[in-house]
Amino acid sequence: MTRYRIADDVAWVSLEGLDSGRIPSAYVARLPLGPPTTLAGSACVVWLAIADGGSHDEITQAAAQMWDTDPEQIRGDVLTLIAELVDVGLVSPD
Amino acid sequence: MTEQVDAAVGQMPIGARVHLAHAVVQKLADDRAIDLLHLKGPAVLPGLRDAGRQSSDVDVLVRPSHLHRLVTALESVGWERRTDFATGSVFAHAANWWHDGWGWVDVHVSWPGVTIDAEQAFDVLARDAVRHSIAHRDCPVPGRTAQRLILVLHAARSGSFADVDDAWTHADPSEQDDVRRLTAELGAEVALAAGIGELELHRGAPTYALWKHFLTGGSRLDEWRARLAAAPDARAKAALLTSALWVNRDHLRMELGRPPTRQEVRARQARRVRQVFGEIARRDGRA
Repeated sequence: MTRYRIADDVAWVSLEGLDSGRIPSAYVARLPLGPPTTLAGSACVVWLAIADGGSHDEITQAAAQMWDTDPEQIRGDVLTLIAELVDVGLVSPD
Repeated sequence: MTEQVDAAVGQMPIGARVHLAHAVVQKLADDRAIDLLHLKGPAVLPGLRDAGRQSSDVDVLVRPSHLHRLVTALESVGWERRTDFATGSVFAHAANWWHDGWGWVDVHVSWPGVTIDAEQAFDVLARDAVRHSIAHRDCPVPGRTAQRLILVLHAARSGSFADVDDAWTHADPSEQDDVRRLTAELGAEVALAAGIGELELHRGAPTYALWKHFLTGGSRLDEWRARLAAAPDARAKAALLTSALWVNRDHLRMELGRPPTRQEVRARQARRVRQVFGEIARRDGRA
């Protein structure tokens, strides 16, 4: 089963003091060229789940737990986001 | 959820950009074996600064002999030099680069107040460096004692003393003793004194007037007198006098938001000369 993690050449920061309003945000970039990208709201939650590494199912479970929702309701969106993040090199499949 | 993802790429707070830019600079340093230390902002160790404070730029201290490699690295990824070391500050210690995506980087080859040789000073400050995570990347930062000193010296230089409470006043006596020992090693006694309210103990020091000027302000003429008094030798004094009347093209460029024309430089030059001689005349009671 494929596992996913944040790519080795990525820097990121997610701090309450940097959130836009009350929306949780993660700011991420490949080094050294970027571009800097903002992941807000549920995208940030998925990013934080990816930070711990895991399979599609594990990331979906972790994101659902953080978001306090049913994993089945977000599974499709999580898979789509992971695929997009892999495409732009921010996330690596192991 | 997809809508939230689509909306995710938007404006990035300056504070977040600064974190990422530190990581970019460290990546460049790692790839080219450049020795540098990250300073201030997210590089400050926990407890030495109010956690809520944010920086608007990246500050790094580079080993002076590695400066050319860092400049090449910064410019290879799109940073553009906006000031040089001669015009960046009173101490000629820093220059600034701008990047449309990453913002400002202030590159320091020495720290205001430190008077020993810059290469030697880097070794002293790097001696107890620790790895500190910024944007989830390991970045070398000075140890706690050196960070306390750097924050106090910066406060004395900038006139903004918000950091002095955490960096100095709240330090216990043994920590303050450690800072004083490091200060002596770096020849920064007068600057430290300016930051902690002891400047009058150094009235006879050549740099006293300069630090007094930073604390209390004064005219540009006062500043130049203080800078002349602080210049360590005749060559340095001559260089200062030569540069005193010349317009700082880098600053004029930043003020205008574009490179100045020759006419604009000439006009500013004339204004600067009038300004300096006007101050002298007022001092002599002739105006």
